Amino acid sequence: MDSSKYNILRVFALVCFGVIVLRLFFIQIVERKYKSSADSNVLRYEVQYPPRGEIFDRNGEFLAQSREAYDLMAVPRDVLPFDTMLMCSIIGATPESVKAALDKARAFSPRQSSAILKLLPKETKLKLEELSFPGFYLQYRTVRHYPRKIAGNLLGDVGEVNEKILERDLYYRPGDYIGMSGVERSYEEVLRGRKGVRISMVDVHGVHRGSYMNGLYDTLPELGRSITCTVDARLQQLGEELMAGKVGSIVAIEPSTGEILAMVSSPTYNPDDLVGAERGNNYAKLLNNKQLPLFNRAVMSPYPPGSTFKLINGLIGLQEGVLTPGNHYPCYRGYPVGRGVKCHGHASPLPLIDAVQTSCNSYFCYVFRNIVDNKKYGNLNSGLDRWNEYVRSFGFGRRLESDFKDERKGNVPTSQYYDRKYRDNWNSLTIISLSIGQGEMGCTPMQMANLSATVANRGFYYIPHVVKRIGDGDSLSRRFYEPQYTMVDPKHFAPIVEGMFKAVNRPGGTAGVAQIDGIEVCGKTGTAQTPHGKDNSTFLCFAPRNNPKIALSVYVENGGFGATVAAPIASLLVEQYLTGEIRRTDMLNSIKNMHINYPHYAK
Amino acid sequence: MPNRADKGLFGSVDGWAVAIYLLLAAMGWVSIYSALYNEAHSSIFDLSQRYGMQLVWIGASLAAALVVLLMDGKFFHIWAYPAYWLLAAVLLAVALIGKEVNGARSWIMLGSVAVQPTELAKVATALALARFMSDRTAPLATLGGVVKVMCIIAVPMAVIVLQNDTGSALVYCSFLFMLYREAFRPWIYSLLALVVALFMGSFLLNETTLLVCVLLICFLTEAAASRQWRSRISFMAALGLAAMTIYFVGGSVVSRHIPFHVCLTAASLVAALALVVYALRRRIRSIFTSVLLFVGMLLYTNVIDYAFDHILQPHQQKRILDLLGIEADLRGWGYNVNQSKITIGSGGLFGKGFLGGTQTRYDFVPEQGTDFIFCTIGEERGFAGCLVVVSLFTALILRLMKMGERQREPFGRIYCYCVASILLAHLVINIGMTVGLMPVVGIPLPLFSYGGSSLIAFTILIFIAIKLDSNKREDLSL
Repeated sequence: MDSSKYNILRVFALVCFGVIVLRLFFIQIVERKYKSSADSNVLRYEVQYPPRGEIFDRNGEFLAQSREAYDLMAVPRDVLPFDTMLMCSIIGATPESVKAALDKARAFSPRQSSAILKLLPKETKLKLEELSFPGFYLQYRTVRHYPRKIAGNLLGDVGEVNEKILERDLYYRPGDYIGMSGVERSYEEVLRGRKGVRISMVDVHGVHRGSYMNGLYDTLPELGRSITCTVDARLQQLGEELMAGKVGSIVAIEPSTGEILAMVSSPTYNPDDLVGAERGNNYAKLLNNKQLPLFNRAVMSPYPPGSTFKLINGLIGLQEGVLTPGNHYPCYRGYPVGRGVKCHGHASPLPLIDAVQTSCNSYFCYVFRNIVDNKKYGNLNSGLDRWNEYVRSFGFGRRLESDFKDERKGNVPTSQYYDRKYRDNWNSLTIISLSIGQGEMGCTPMQMANLSATVANRGFYYIPHVVKRIGDGDSLSRRFYEPQYTMVDPKHFAPIVEGMFKAVNRPGGTAGVAQIDGIEVCGKTGTAQTPHGKDNSTFLCFAPRNNPKIALSVYVENGGFGATVAAPIASLLVEQYLTGEIRRTDMLNSIKNMHINYPHYAK
Repeated sequence: MPNRADKGLFGSVDGWAVAIYLLLAAMGWVSIYSALYNEAHSSIFDLSQRYGMQLVWIGASLAAALVVLLMDGKFFHIWAYPAYWLLAAVLLAVALIGKEVNGARSWIMLGSVAVQPTELAKVATALALARFMSDRTAPLATLGGVVKVMCIIAVPMAVIVLQNDTGSALVYCSFLFMLYREAFRPWIYSLLALVVALFMGSFLLNETTLLVCVLLICFLTEAAASRQWRSRISFMAALGLAAMTIYFVGGSVVSRHIPFHVCLTAASLVAALALVVYALRRRIRSIFTSVLLFVGMLLYTNVIDYAFDHILQPHQQKRILDLLGIEADLRGWGYNVNQSKITIGSGGLFGKGFLGGTQTRYDFVPEQGTDFIFCTIGEERGFAGCLVVVSLFTALILRLMKMGERQREPFGRIYCYCVASILLAHLVINIGMTVGLMPVVGIPLPLFSYGGSSLIAFTILIFIAIKLDSNKREDLSL
């Protein structure tokens, strides 16, 4: 026996064995890609879209409905030659566009389905189903439909997911829809429901060979739940009509709950424009509109609050003990110290209530300086920061944590801010504008409406929110049910409310225009200076005086005096909401027909 | 001493070999069932399906095995040449008038049954080789003997190539395994390894690297033979320097870029000429051989390029490029291997279970009942199952070698080694192809792939070895 050769050959055979086993080990155990390749070969995921939940107003009226629509899908590999002209005549497309879509789909994947034409109406679907086009099928989707065509920014729009969303959230697949803004975005997970999936297996020819694991991993679609908004559709519609031709915002809140009764951001748009085939074009148009209709001013635009802010300074003064309702301060058609602050003609000196009624600038300059220069706090920095704390407790300078995801903070300046701005060289006169809500103050209309609700409640507010009920349940976040107290004791609110009442209902008040027969409206006008043209017209009010049902903030850019535009708009809305009708038709028509010129938006 | 009568008819038959054979055949049958499972005919005994038919073939094979065991051992010795010539004639006839399947004209119709004589030809060739080499004392010692042995192998091989069945022809190369055992010149194997390495190198390496490798191989073998390391190293350094000089100086003289490998080739060829003169004068054989080797390798690498571009057919070129990882076209010609790898790879450690293989069940694997049957095992039984199958084959091969070693007559030993060679070749080529180690050539996995011809031929092949082995042991026990 030639054992050396025998052994060499045995080793050779074993080496062959070893090489094969190592290779098998590598592809079966080490490398994982083959497993997923095998799955993608055989598994076909058929997504089943549930209808998107509908949105109602507080009275059960539809704000947004879901209408069924169908995407025409094609699996390019399975498409046989078909009567292109016939199909095109049914779906209303040109043969060229269908051919281009098919080519694109084929380039994407001959095996996977791609959408050829999206969101076809049901009638088209029925016609297509009478005929047979191999390789094509219809995918059920739902699209939005807005019966009243109002509250575009509030409800938000629904659009196709983009790359960023796809990366962030694995739930979505290309071609899925998602709420992009407003309620649609905030309550996306409630409204969308849950996609179902049916996993089936196909063989090498793409022929279905039954369900995968007997449907073990299949899921049924979960219907989107409906949402009842706090919005009153009629009030919202009136608000939008009143704001036509003006840039600005209205926010109306029910003080006893924090429910948003209306939220207008003007200019607005027809929400139906952002649905269906024309969505892309219309969206681009809206984006290019210089007046920014897609910008929800109600929660995003930081405005100087103007004189309406005097309410807060008065309240802080009372709480800090640097002001009593009986304190009189003189007004020399303005505040005479430093650069001075101008005022208009009225009796002087005044107590607090009259100062609110007449909106005396001088009075609140005294009050503000008393607050920030309070010896108790040692220096101006601490005084201002104490003031800042108070203001923040009213919901300014921070997010209110409402259910609008795009809500902005606004701005309430701190001592640090001024140290940086003026390089430590400033005093209470430098920042005197804050006493009348000017200067560096930035407040969103929702924050201002919240102030109105806080005063209406005499000292606390509920976080403003736009959703009343999800589905059938009462499952809102706890935060919307807890009263938020400000740092000012409720007992100090009486004189402020009294001043607001007199501002509307007594001669010499700034807001007589807002007076309504039989309703005790309390209001505060504001006329905020702006670098862009005429002053902004703003008005805060609530009504009735006792047990208030509605609190409002109206802000009209370049509207002039608070009493010119904002106060009548607020008054009309209060009338509509509390009486269900409007008797002052002259006022209604004159406001509706008022168009303000905005030269700076045209740039 | 055991009584022969007590041992019965199969008493001295090698139990291990038979057991492994039966196990493999049974596993093959179940694998075919899995691979070709048809819900409408779910019985494994359904004769309208291939898995039902495979049972018939297994029955026929067992009958053939029985016949082989019952025959006298001398019969194979006597009939070796007639069988060889008969099969050669049949092969030639098939090549001319046979039925074409998958591009290979290797099938012949006997009534309604298609028979592939290629498989049986291996048995005949193994017998003829055993007969020829055992009739002579040192068949490989003379050039004439070697030529005759090569002819015995080459005749059926050539006819099979004529049938356009390259894969089956390739199996005949495996007789080199047996020839090594029979003291065939070892340097031939080194040369063959070099040829294969150079072939792959010519695709995977750039010209300069390849040339440096070739030079180093020649230089190292010569230096190892002459043991004159110092002078050889300085010679190589000088050669390198010369090449560099040509590269830089020559480049500036002709004011054009000359690739470095051209410079090195030029320097080497001049040096080779000088070396030949030197070696002839001094009669230093190692230098002469080394230079010859160098020139041969240089020519060979160029021939490869030419042959690849001009002789190989496009599909063969693509398979080679795919295997070497140079190109991949998973939709086109790379599809089979890719799907095969996916199928086996997706099996994981323990597989997807019996009839649970999605790749197999839904026809993603090509030829899954025949050439790619191993995919079914890989997918449904996983790494564990593959390990069992490959281990069993290896055990059978080692067993056959052992059986060969314990033969007293060279005839039996050579035959057993032939069987081991053929099985090893099939194992390596077939499984290597399914896992992407070998180019796709259509040869069956013995005892697994569906087909009566193949199963019966392999059964006869193996059982002749078992018979010869039992004969010798009976003689001993008498």
